Amino acid sequence: MQILTQLVFSGIALGMIYAVIAFGYQLTFATSDTLNFGQGDALMLGALVGLTLVGLGVNYWLMIPIVCLFGVVQGAVVERIGVRPAIKIKSEFGWIMSTIALGIIFKNVAENVWGRDDLKFPSPLPESPLKFLGANVLPMEILVVVGAVLMMLAVEFFNRKTIYGKAVVATFNDRDAAKLMGINTGLVITFSYALSSLTAGFAGVLIAPLTLTGATMGAVLGLKAFAVAIIGGLTSGLGIVVGGIILGIAETTTGFYLSTGYKDVPGLVLLLIVLAVRPQGLFGKTAIKKV
Amino acid sequence: MKRTHLALAILGIIALLLFPLGVGNPYYIHLLETIMIYAIVLFGLDIVVGYTGQVSLGHAGLFGIGAYTAGVMVMKLGTPLLVTLIASVGVTALFGAILALPALRVSGPYLAMVTLAFGTIIQILINEMTFLTEGPMGIKLTKPSLLGLKLDEREFFWLVAVLMVLALIVVHRVLRSHLGRAFEALRGSPVASDCMGVSVYRYKVYAFVISAGFAGLAGALYAFSEQYISPNSYNFELTVLFLLAVIMGGRKSRIGALVGATIIVLLPKLLDDIEMFRYVSVALAVGVATVTVLGIRKGRVTPKQMAIPLVGSIALAGLSFWLQTMTDWRLSIFGVIMLFVVYYLQDGIVGFVRSALNLARPKPEEQLASVSLRGGDALSSSATSGSSEILTADGVLMQFGGLKALNDVSLRIRRGTIHGLIGPNGSGKSTMMNVLTGIYVPTAGTIAFEGRSVVGRTSSDIALSGIARTFQNVQLFGEMTALQNVQVGLHHSFASNLFDVAVHTPRYRRESKAATERALGLLQFVGLADLAFEEARNLPYGKQRLLEIARALALDPQLLLLDEPAAGLTAPDIKELISFIRKIREHGVTVILIEHHMDVVMSMCDTVSVLDFGQKIAEGRPAHVQADEKVIEAYLGGQAA
Repeated sequence: MQILTQLVFSGIALGMIYAVIAFGYQLTFATSDTLNFGQGDALMLGALVGLTLVGLGVNYWLMIPIVCLFGVVQGAVVERIGVRPAIKIKSEFGWIMSTIALGIIFKNVAENVWGRDDLKFPSPLPESPLKFLGANVLPMEILVVVGAVLMMLAVEFFNRKTIYGKAVVATFNDRDAAKLMGINTGLVITFSYALSSLTAGFAGVLIAPLTLTGATMGAVLGLKAFAVAIIGGLTSGLGIVVGGIILGIAETTTGFYLSTGYKDVPGLVLLLIVLAVRPQGLFGKTAIKKV
Repeated sequence: MKRTHLALAILGIIALLLFPLGVGNPYYIHLLETIMIYAIVLFGLDIVVGYTGQVSLGHAGLFGIGAYTAGVMVMKLGTPLLVTLIASVGVTALFGAILALPALRVSGPYLAMVTLAFGTIIQILINEMTFLTEGPMGIKLTKPSLLGLKLDEREFFWLVAVLMVLALIVVHRVLRSHLGRAFEALRGSPVASDCMGVSVYRYKVYAFVISAGFAGLAGALYAFSEQYISPNSYNFELTVLFLLAVIMGGRKSRIGALVGATIIVLLPKLLDDIEMFRYVSVALAVGVATVTVLGIRKGRVTPKQMAIPLVGSIALAGLSFWLQTMTDWRLSIFGVIMLFVVYYLQDGIVGFVRSALNLARPKPEEQLASVSLRGGDALSSSATSGSSEILTADGVLMQFGGLKALNDVSLRIRRGTIHGLIGPNGSGKSTMMNVLTGIYVPTAGTIAFEGRSVVGRTSSDIALSGIARTFQNVQLFGEMTALQNVQVGLHHSFASNLFDVAVHTPRYRRESKAATERALGLLQFVGLADLAFEEARNLPYGKQRLLEIARALALDPQLLLLDEPAAGLTAPDIKELISFIRKIREHGVTVILIEHHMDVVMSMCDTVSVLDFGQKIAEGRPAHVQADEKVIEAYLGGQAA
């Protein structure tokens, strides 16, 4: 029982990271119906830039806003190079391929700059676990959960309460109408990508002390976060939190009871099943197709 | 195929077969062998990417399944070559079908992610299932024996070459057949495919299964060719490389697949050789600069358009002198090439060369010259027997959330009549069409066509039972020619299966010829015979509507639903339209006509039903309906005088 509680706690921490990355998918999907296939690589870059900053002697807490800023720039670059031209020529194939291409480039550059080996990210909090309900919980895990929730609340608050957020929501509802109302929808889409990469970079520095940091850390995380976005539904905020936790726990338990080699399998299988049975996700609404 | 093409192809094959004799170096033989193996994968991948228009990131996984099926069978069972190859194709095709299951419900980015997840799972499984696959250790193989003869490097090369040519012929035939048209139709308009009796579900699965089969064959050959397989060969990088090859070579082209395979095999070798790479990158920069100068002078491109590729190629050349080794930057270079291809070379190298040399795409039906048009029109006569009511709808309710788009509507369509369906915008006319053709499932009510219920059946099933339709917003297969569009409608007239198509059995030849004749006849009927080879998207709007009618007639329907056929037509065209709708009825086809041109409705219809806010407010003879106060109120509002 104690082991199970333990697995559930680490599962929740892991799941919240997935939820934050999945949240990034939702942001860009909301404004432009596009997804960044290099989302995992945005996370990886965030973590590695953070690691370098910490190595230069920057305080962990001070480093976070700098990494967020880096994420903003990185996201804007992805949107300008990979997404905007494709939206202009109305090519779905185009943005899928170009965001994949950019992801590969980022990964390769990271490999050449930071090397191919996984690096240890120093933990900003004490690494001695706390006792909670008989299970060991790392302080870092608590930080991950708190940070993830704060991040998502901040963006939700922005979307609901500020006029800029309303422009984002308007663009989501009807891009052409929003444009006619004087909203610079191009800018809104760039902004959503910047925000999306910001959340990914933030997730990167949150999770880095718990795992190892390296150029290859992004790919599987990005894919599993997509699974979470699909399980939760691409339009539901609550959905991704629930989806993230389901996946996180499924993963830690599989890793413990079966083999760590198989730990990525449940998430991917869940993705296939959800898409086969209920493509709009557990919490998403079905769109009525118009003919 | 033209004589010259055939001669060139035979020359090419002979050169290929003589290659190992001329070049003794096993390194080059192996290199060309790898190119041919990749080409087989790409033929299959092109079916999914080029024809059905879906991004598959799972083909490295399928390739791996093929390789491991071969590896495991040889290692554990010591199976002979032919059995191994057949098993690899079969097992991989089965996995293709599994992959297609989630793919049925989704498309675009979702499908891309699904296939990526699939590929990742396969790689994990190969790695973890050590009892079967030896895990990360990999499997060692030797070159196989054929008919008791142990093949050496050169003889295996010939085997690969023969299989590659066979694969090429089979893929080519499949894609030129009704199957290929079905794949392409899915991409053009899934809804219209279903309503033409081409089930989107079924043909998506077919496309994946056939595609996977080729990946499996290639995988097995790869295992024998490399003589060693390990899980890490079938990773994300390989899958991206395959995709890059397809789009770079040119989609929907077998030559494109060959070009693409050559590039992805040779490029890494080129990057390993920095000296060579410097020459090539300088040559590329010079080439791009020349094209830019010529293009600007001829006014074909603007300086702004060419700025990025020009600066990019010069930067690449500079980079090649700055860096000591390119190998580490291989993936970045692939990424940059991908971006370049996506934005500047959308039709691939083959497409670019074609447009630069002004070569048209080859005509799809080479036997056309011999086709003679039959006398009379191509319409088939519909049965006039059976009960007098061909379609009865009772109490149909269609609810979207709180909105009742159709509220308790009942219709009785008499056989052999033209039944008008009119009403103001948003009154539910098109919804009714969608309910009748199975696109929407009604919330309540019954619909019977020829005495059989329609509710709950799939669109393609309903279409095949004899209801054809056109669409209010034209739903043609844009990249296909007018002729091909009609041929998709004739899909039901083919009984040929994959085998018939692959070996061109007499049955397939007969059906194919008949379908081409019928399609031309139908185009003539709607007056589009001279536009048969024009791509549908290039036709003017009015002609597109006529083409939709021709396509619908190809289904040999008992009941034809026309959704605003006169919209966008000029006055003389409308007259013609009226005359051929009458002709359609003379052949015994019952017509339901939605139309806003009242003169058309009033002059042709035997009965008219009027909808308003989802309810039927009047029904009867045209003159009777025209005088109905409720109808006048619905159209003009307020109290009628």
